Amino acid sequence: MNLNSRKALDRSLTGVGALAIGLMSLSLVILLGPFFIRGSQAFVFRATVEHRRLMFTEFARGGQDSLNKELAAVKQARAPVFAAMTRFEEELPSLPLERRGALRKEYREVQRLVRSLFGPLPGDDPPVLLREVYGQTRWDRALVKLDELLHVQRWDYSRIGQMGRQVRDRRQNTFAGTALEPLFPVLEGHLGEMLRPRLTFYWQFLIDESRDAHFFGGIGPEILGTFYLAFGAMLLAIPFGVIAAVYLSEFAGSGRLVSLLRVFVSTLAGVPSIVFGLFGLAFFINTLHLSRSKSVLAGAATLALLILPTIIRAAEEAIKAVPQTYREAALSLGASPLRMVLTVLLPAALPGILTGIIISIGRAAGETAPIIFTAAVSVGQPLKLIETLSQPTPALSWNIYNLATEHEAVGEIRHVQFGMVLTLVLLVLALNLAAILLRARLARRNRG
Amino acid sequence: MNKTGDSLILSQAASRFRRLAAALMRGFLLLVTALSMAAVLLIILYIARDALPFFRLAGLKEFFASTAWYPSGRPASFGALSIFFGSAIVTLGAMAVAIPLGLAAALCLSDILPFAVRQAVKPVIEALAAIPSVAFGFFALVVFAPLLQNNGGNVLTVMVWLILLPPGLLLTYLTAEASSRGIREEVAPAVKWVMAGVLGWLLIRGLLALADRLGGVTIDSGANALNVSLILGIMALPTIVSVSEDALQAAGRDLREGSYALGATRAETLLKVVIPAASSGIVAAVILGVMRAIGETMVVWMASGNAAQIPKPWFNVLSPVRTLTATIAGDMGEADQVLGSLRYHVLFALALILLLLSFFANLVSEWVLRRHRRRMSGGQK
Repeated sequence: MNLNSRKALDRSLTGVGALAIGLMSLSLVILLGPFFIRGSQAFVFRATVEHRRLMFTEFARGGQDSLNKELAAVKQARAPVFAAMTRFEEELPSLPLERRGALRKEYREVQRLVRSLFGPLPGDDPPVLLREVYGQTRWDRALVKLDELLHVQRWDYSRIGQMGRQVRDRRQNTFAGTALEPLFPVLEGHLGEMLRPRLTFYWQFLIDESRDAHFFGGIGPEILGTFYLAFGAMLLAIPFGVIAAVYLSEFAGSGRLVSLLRVFVSTLAGVPSIVFGLFGLAFFINTLHLSRSKSVLAGAATLALLILPTIIRAAEEAIKAVPQTYREAALSLGASPLRMVLTVLLPAALPGILTGIIISIGRAAGETAPIIFTAAVSVGQPLKLIETLSQPTPALSWNIYNLATEHEAVGEIRHVQFGMVLTLVLLVLALNLAAILLRARLARRNRG
Repeated sequence: MNKTGDSLILSQAASRFRRLAAALMRGFLLLVTALSMAAVLLIILYIARDALPFFRLAGLKEFFASTAWYPSGRPASFGALSIFFGSAIVTLGAMAVAIPLGLAAALCLSDILPFAVRQAVKPVIEALAAIPSVAFGFFALVVFAPLLQNNGGNVLTVMVWLILLPPGLLLTYLTAEASSRGIREEVAPAVKWVMAGVLGWLLIRGLLALADRLGGVTIDSGANALNVSLILGIMALPTIVSVSEDALQAAGRDLREGSYALGATRAETLLKVVIPAASSGIVAAVILGVMRAIGETMVVWMASGNAAQIPKPWFNVLSPVRTLTATIAGDMGEADQVLGSLRYHVLFALALILLLLSFFANLVSEWVLRRHRRRMSGGQK
């Protein structure tokens, strides 16, 4: 090969490397982008009057007077809609028979959508489900509902040999000439006055309990459950992990037993997380009977096993990094090995150990598979501390899965799902950032 | 510890007490350490204990050889072959993404990028490693799957361009370079450029034609093997990058400098000297990456489609599959109520397979790494 080709190859390798780094960074951006953009909409959004009504009755927030004033204004704005509906209902029996059936069917759809916008119609029985008591609390969802109300969607299969096309017709056309016809332009033009959207910062999303299976409210119990699980796991794993690390790095030497122990550590680190879950079910619940069925305790114990290798490795690294002179100085002053470990070694290694612990908290908070069978339920109350010994809990990671796949109205509560993902991701990233900063400080101290 | 006065020399009794205390403490530390390690044995024991009844009652043949997975059917059948296949193809796909990308990134990080840039890239890797798997799964299900379903053709086109364009350009350049060799010096550059132009034109035309084909492809379901493979590949990236970067770093400066001194370029040094020297570390990195992909639950459970089938043809990554981990996670909910039934035990049998796989992979990677370390330290002496 001549020199030019060799140079070109060299440059192209640089290019390929840069491309790989670029793709990796790009994938992180593409991944986090939707979480941040759509997740923030769970916190900051245009809230309608229905949201304020909900906040007042369910969570006792906001002033009664201002709410009543607003409700009165809204009632007035909505009156033409309800009036048109009443007139149409009176008119319906007198309409020509051949149109009546189709109209009645269509009208039921209109009623459903108006209810979903504004809550129960005047004269309705009080609804059973909470989600039917309130209309749309979010302006973005209200606009989606309005669009559904204004347009009929159907599939056009008339072109032979081609895929069906979606066609949108204006629903108004169906009701042409009836008393309901004016309802559509009124809704389209004055929905803002009927719902009064206002930009709201709903930070209580982080502490509120959910109402009616996450249709309303926040993710407080999930966050609390995640904290319980992560800190319970730490509580169980830290003593074992640090002691094992002290033993492995200071006292074990390099015998056969020790190399076996080390193989065990790396084996434990390699066990798939779902296997931990099964083990937790078979051992902690079905054999030890830590609790009658799923509980925070069983889940935390399972998670503790999962993060044990991480803690052992981090603590071992940190202890090994303590200069040999520290140990020798302590021992030469007459300290026993135990005292040397407790008063010299561990304090010197503490920042390093803390780094490992912080990263493990993030890991424990984010894991889902181990808690499926041991600790997680989809809907639950926030637990008191004592109840964690016997009760299962909702948790962020599990509920992200649950709301995104098994919820009855997956598409209606996207903002809650994204808000949960954002919360979890931010929590984990913040913990990692703290670990990075701690490590940087540690490096500076060791250098200086 | 105890009062021994000002004398530096301990009394006999005190020194014996001290020795005893030290021995006791060592014993206690060993006990705690061994206890936490006993977890591994307990895990094997309990998974195997609940898995064995399945093999005893249902035998091995159906489990490993049949693709009929109807655990709730009457009679139930537990052919897990298609589930093994699902795990395999998803892992294979993930590695097809992660190995080239991860290796290139590791090379770039260890030898090419300046220090400041490297410091900026490190947090990207750490963030990718830290993001919980359920968040990846959520992305795969809620963002990526609809994208594939609605704009499948375009997504595939972009991917093909990304994969084929860089090596295509490289090949074009090298062929042009080679074809101009041995020609008189005055015309050589002209020949080279003409060659490059013709080949480049052919390349672009070929890619456009391929893109045209792919642009028409519609994907029935966004929850498929391709989706999961891509996401798993990105999840395995941090492992592969950091472990193989360590291996590349460990290959040492002298090796590189020796190669440079012989007149090699950086690319030649990396490809012919550093990578062979670090090969066992890279193998270990790949093994760890594979285990990350096989053991991952949430992403495959949420976005693989969960259809226990072997696609036709088998390499059709656009069809849904089902994996070991997703089967355990998904079926346990129903099997939990029928504790002690075959449906319950078969999930433990799947877990046992997973567990054995991870042990095996772990042992191999440990062995490879240890051999590597020994060789590297031997080389320095």
